[in-house]
Amino acid sequence: MLLAIRIEALINALPGSVAQGLIWGIMALGVYITFRLLDFADLTVDGSIATGGAVAVMLIKNGMSPWLALVFAFCAGMLAGLVTGLLHTLLGIPGILASILTQISLYSINYNIMDKASNQAVSVDKYSLVASLRYVNAQGSSRAIFFAGLFAGVIVIIAATYWFFGTEIGQSIRATGCNEAMARAQGINTSFIKVLALMISNGFVGLCGGIYAQYQGASDINMGRGAIVVGLAAVIIGEVLFGKFCAKRKLAFGFTLFSVVIGAILYWAVYAIVIWLKMPSEDMKLFSAIIVAIFLSIPYLKGKYGRKGVKKNDKAVQ
Amino acid sequence: MKKILAMALSVVLCIGMMTGCGSKDGNSSSDNGDAAKVYNIGICQLVEHPALDAATQGFQDALKELLGDNVKFDVQNAQGEQTNATTICNAFVADKVDLILANATSPLQAAASATADIPILGTSITDYATALDMSDWSGVTGRNISGTSDLAPLDQQEKMLLELCPNVTKVGIIYCSAEANSAYQARVFGGYLEEDGIAYQEYTAADSNEIQTVVTNAIQDCDVIYIPTDNTMASNTEIINNVCLPAGIPVIAGEEGICKGCGIATLSISYYDLGYATGKMAYEILVNGADVSSMEVQYAPNVTKEYNAANCEALQIAVPEDYVAIEVEE
Repeated sequence: MLLAIRIEALINALPGSVAQGLIWGIMALGVYITFRLLDFADLTVDGSIATGGAVAVMLIKNGMSPWLALVFAFCAGMLAGLVTGLLHTLLGIPGILASILTQISLYSINYNIMDKASNQAVSVDKYSLVASLRYVNAQGSSRAIFFAGLFAGVIVIIAATYWFFGTEIGQSIRATGCNEAMARAQGINTSFIKVLALMISNGFVGLCGGIYAQYQGASDINMGRGAIVVGLAAVIIGEVLFGKFCAKRKLAFGFTLFSVVIGAILYWAVYAIVIWLKMPSEDMKLFSAIIVAIFLSIPYLKGKYGRKGVKKNDKAVQ
Repeated sequence: MKKILAMALSVVLCIGMMTGCGSKDGNSSSDNGDAAKVYNIGICQLVEHPALDAATQGFQDALKELLGDNVKFDVQNAQGEQTNATTICNAFVADKVDLILANATSPLQAAASATADIPILGTSITDYATALDMSDWSGVTGRNISGTSDLAPLDQQEKMLLELCPNVTKVGIIYCSAEANSAYQARVFGGYLEEDGIAYQEYTAADSNEIQTVVTNAIQDCDVIYIPTDNTMASNTEIINNVCLPAGIPVIAGEEGICKGCGIATLSISYYDLGYATGKMAYEILVNGADVSSMEVQYAPNVTKEYNAANCEALQIAVPEDYVAIEVEE
């Protein structure tokens, strides 16, 4: 009987993981755009997620609607991406370093945005927030509305992303990521494209920060610490688990985007299981790094040692 | 290959679930022998830190004394990240715990977002009004939150500074800019200094790497340093001591740990006592049915004037009789 109670506790905790995963999924989509489509390891996200949160919370506290505040969180994230992009393309700083520079500088900027405080609370009792952990545990319709809204929002974002990367500019981003020299030879302004992709990506990250700050009831100067690992984990878990499933479909790219969000949900579900098992949560950082390392290495090791299997698959696809 | 991998993963997960359940099952059935209700308490602590650990310990000790075996704790650590605190508090609510102890500000905010029903007690929190975004503060929250504050009597600390360093011309207040509690204390402490007509300046470090530079800079202008209860500073007292002591600059500390490492004196509150007092509040709520929304936030039960004998001697500061020397482990 007690076993049943314990499992019930886990099942009760999972809606929270799903909500958390859907919100972080938006951020993971941003990571997917830079990491996979543009082939750019962008560490700006650790800073821009907190920027999005800071902007949203400060605007809400000054009387703006929580919905409208998210638009500004998105724009703030885009600005962060713009800085990284310009550092890289205009000043020739290597990509990863440019993003680290932006990330570090965002600490001070976020601090100033939050009115020289490291933590700004925004209470769901005072404002009608877009998202809150409270809704997850609420009884009745507000819970259903919250999940339906969140899910619909994510679907809309995926649809918009799918549409955008089908346009000429979107295709240029993918081409630049695949083969920059070739893209340039085709007359694509790759510098502009890189900056644009970084802005879109960090816009998503800022949006995620804005929603997540409302969800947890505060924006914190440290809320982005390690965010890139969560984002990468989501992208990679989604790819490895659903890559084959997506590849054979129509709208394969759309399914891939969706699998990234599923990856984020799975990441937080695993975390909930870790807590539920009463495993020491202090070891979670090591745990998530190991998960990411394993999933990152699988495609490589498969290519190296599993050639036969790969060839068979290739035939099957053809 | 992928299928095999997926299967292997699910098997691992299943085994994990079973072993997890199995061990829990064993524990709980022994507890169930008692007729009395067993209270489940979720504890979310922000980060591993001596002061926070002591508060958690005090809380657990108080409830174990009052309830014996009829209380079970689920202690979770958020590793300094608010995101983790949110996940942990969600798990507590899902687990339908009887009470949540939020140890430090971020866990309190996460718990406050997670539930409006389950009683939440905070500890190691300096200023509830700021942490909970409440504009009119009257000592009670009016909702499912109460707890204890680690705010040391700052006015008395300021008096202590003047007592030990009567010739002070300018005080440097040093803290980490990422810690909301420290900024609050610095502001209040600065206010008291201003009342006594003493100049002061705030210096902030963003992380531990910046401390050396910031402290070196501060002692160029100031002749006494004050450090509030700041977690980053508490973890790096050695650096501060190595800059201040050779320069002959005394440091007044906000808590015992900092004072032991680099200070001359402090007005100490005990985080263990603070946690213990919180544990007693939990007992009132759980067993005696006290209404958490009308419970006043409590402060440290007793404060002691303490001094660091080695540093006072090195700086030739005469310590009055009513100070207690901090014990130094050999």
